[in-house]
Amino acid sequence: MVSENELKTIIEEVIKNLDRNNLGDKESNKSGGNSEIEAGEIPDITEVDLQKEMLVPEANNQEEFLKLKAKTSARLGVWRAGPRYKTNTLLRFRADHAAAMDAVFTGVSEELINEMNFDTYQTLCSDKDEFLTRPDLGKLFSDQTLAEMKNNCQSNPQVQLYVADGLSSTAIEANLRDIFPAIKQGLEGYNIEMGTPFFVKFGRVASMEPISECLNADVSCVLIGERPGLATAESMSCYMAYKAEIGMPEARRTVISNIHSGGTSAVEAGAHIADVIKAMLDQKASGLDLEI
Amino acid sequence: MEKIISVGIDIGTSTTQVIFSHITIENLASAYSVPQIDIIDKNVFYKSEIYFTPLISETEIDGQEIKKIIESEFKKANVAKKDISTGAVIITGETARKKNASLISEQLSDLAGDFVVATAGPDLESIIAGKGAGADKLSEKLNKLVINFDIGGGTTNIALFESGQVIDTACLDVGGRLIQLDEQNRLQYISKKIKKLAADLNLNLEIGKKVENSELEIIAEKMASVLSEVLKAGEKSSDYNYLITNHDLSKNYAINYVSFSGGVADYINNDHSGDLYKYNDLGIILAQKIRESSLYKDHQVYQAEETIRATVVGAGSHTTDISGSTITYTDNIFPLKNIPIIKITPEEEKLSKEELVKVIKKKLDWYDLDFEAQTVAVAMKGKENFNFAEITELAEAIIAGMEKIIKLDFPLIVILENDAAKVLGQTINRLSKEPKAVVSLDGIKVDNGDYIDIGKPLARGKVLPVIIKTLIFGK
Repeated sequence: MVSENELKTIIEEVIKNLDRNNLGDKESNKSGGNSEIEAGEIPDITEVDLQKEMLVPEANNQEEFLKLKAKTSARLGVWRAGPRYKTNTLLRFRADHAAAMDAVFTGVSEELINEMNFDTYQTLCSDKDEFLTRPDLGKLFSDQTLAEMKNNCQSNPQVQLYVADGLSSTAIEANLRDIFPAIKQGLEGYNIEMGTPFFVKFGRVASMEPISECLNADVSCVLIGERPGLATAESMSCYMAYKAEIGMPEARRTVISNIHSGGTSAVEAGAHIADVIKAMLDQKASGLDLEI
Repeated sequence: MEKIISVGIDIGTSTTQVIFSHITIENLASAYSVPQIDIIDKNVFYKSEIYFTPLISETEIDGQEIKKIIESEFKKANVAKKDISTGAVIITGETARKKNASLISEQLSDLAGDFVVATAGPDLESIIAGKGAGADKLSEKLNKLVINFDIGGGTTNIALFESGQVIDTACLDVGGRLIQLDEQNRLQYISKKIKKLAADLNLNLEIGKKVENSELEIIAEKMASVLSEVLKAGEKSSDYNYLITNHDLSKNYAINYVSFSGGVADYINNDHSGDLYKYNDLGIILAQKIRESSLYKDHQVYQAEETIRATVVGAGSHTTDISGSTITYTDNIFPLKNIPIIKITPEEEKLSKEELVKVIKKKLDWYDLDFEAQTVAVAMKGKENFNFAEITELAEAIIAGMEKIIKLDFPLIVILENDAAKVLGQTINRLSKEPKAVVSLDGIKVDNGDYIDIGKPLARGKVLPVIIKTLIFGK
């Protein structure tokens, strides 16, 4: 592993080099009579598609290796400088890791929630740290919150949908605008009525049970940010259960995961989710009991 | 996992064959993802005898006799018509030019099963034979261009594959039974083109007259040299151009890997020391000349998976595709057969909605819908990640562009390559004013000029089997 100090040295080294390049540019600009510092741009290393990047020099069979790489998001054949990663590989790793950290620690923006016209209900967690360290509290609401929910939302809906930040707010930001109208349209096509959708702050999959009991929903459905990894921080899941109730086994949940631009697209997933919900209502079952 | 039975029937210039194969489909996605159903195995479990194709006359196929052959093979294989989920009947080579060919092919496809399609055309024949020979898989494995020569009785069907996909086809009137003899080596039949070819070589071949071995060798050598020209750069000879059935490869390629299938192939790949006139035709001599030609000697020759059975195995095992697993369709309208395609190009997909509507309308006008009395499908690649607004716009453009189809109450069929068909179909359903039959499929790549057949849903209704019939290839 690279220690923090070594990392700092590397980054300093890189920045120094970048500066030097910029200086070079400045020099040439000067000779052109322009003494202003140009607002240049450093290429965004996160925009490189790693699965198409060939870093192995003089490979025996480049095409075949690229075919292999196309099948996995694992960082294969990143090559090395001595015993270490190359600079770009290391920086990219750090950048992706940072994106994952951001996805966990930032919140879903007020703007998005307002745009969707959602009310917000908060679990018993009071901040992110508590949310991350106390999974039990993320499954519970105060009596007051539940009373508000009951008061503001339609009771006995066929489908109760809510959105939760979970472990990636980035996933919600990236997918909600596209998946929500697709689910809604799909359900309307089947004449299935959706209750009042809302947002749950510091919410978990199992926030579903008290919500389902509070509103007496047939099917409960949560769109929630997945724990981010290095491949993407934008992956969302949809968990669903028929007549969810506190204490039910996990096996009663159905899940569609991997909803992001590199997995199942949000719109197509939304259309599929509507089908799954229809099957749940038809069969009055979910999870392992559901046949699809 | 679901196993379906597919039938392949090949009525060729000289032989007629039937095979049955099991096609296994399975959901490859994990239980917590959107389903992804795919063909995981194809296995030929019954091969018929190889029959001589029964003819009434030189211009007519004996339909009754063929029907008998097929019915008896169904019995021998212990397969009933109702067990057949898919498959294809192909009439190939010279037989395809008989005057009752298309009628027979249609009748046989009905006889064999509800979703057994009739196919014809030298291009499709080349593709099917190439796949049956395994040239597509070989090209994928080697990562190189692989060309398959299916040398039958009447024609040589040529298909070129790159990374598992066919990229070009050609067909030449070169085959083993273009000259046929009796037991005393007297000429019984010679095709028109070969007669002219022989005359140009100063050979005077007449029906009923004994043909010398040396004369046959000269003709076979000429044919082999014409076949060798396929892989040679530069001007083609006049004989080459004369023997082209419908068209040549569309350009020159640097090709190293060659495979041979068809009845003649068996005698190219193996030394034959026995009777040259075993079949009373040119076949074995032609094979020997090909073995001595530059086509064989200067290229890496791979053994085909199937030789004389390549076309029938291709028809039975490699014609059916499976759509994507998240799709939208109206029930109880399948099978839909022989649906022409209008293809929206990637450039056209980028147009504004209004422009796209115009493009679709214009392309739809190529078809006289009242005359065809059936629907036309619109196809495009589609983006990998549509957002909801884009899907809505696309649905609106398709509904407006396909207005004529909707008015005629034909099913509205949309075919995408990328995975977005379910949401697109649902959006079309929402935006259509009146309920009507909609089929929105993805995972299928088609082009202008292709025809498709869509069968009854499989895998608990998740996917539809599709047969693509490429009719104009390498234009």
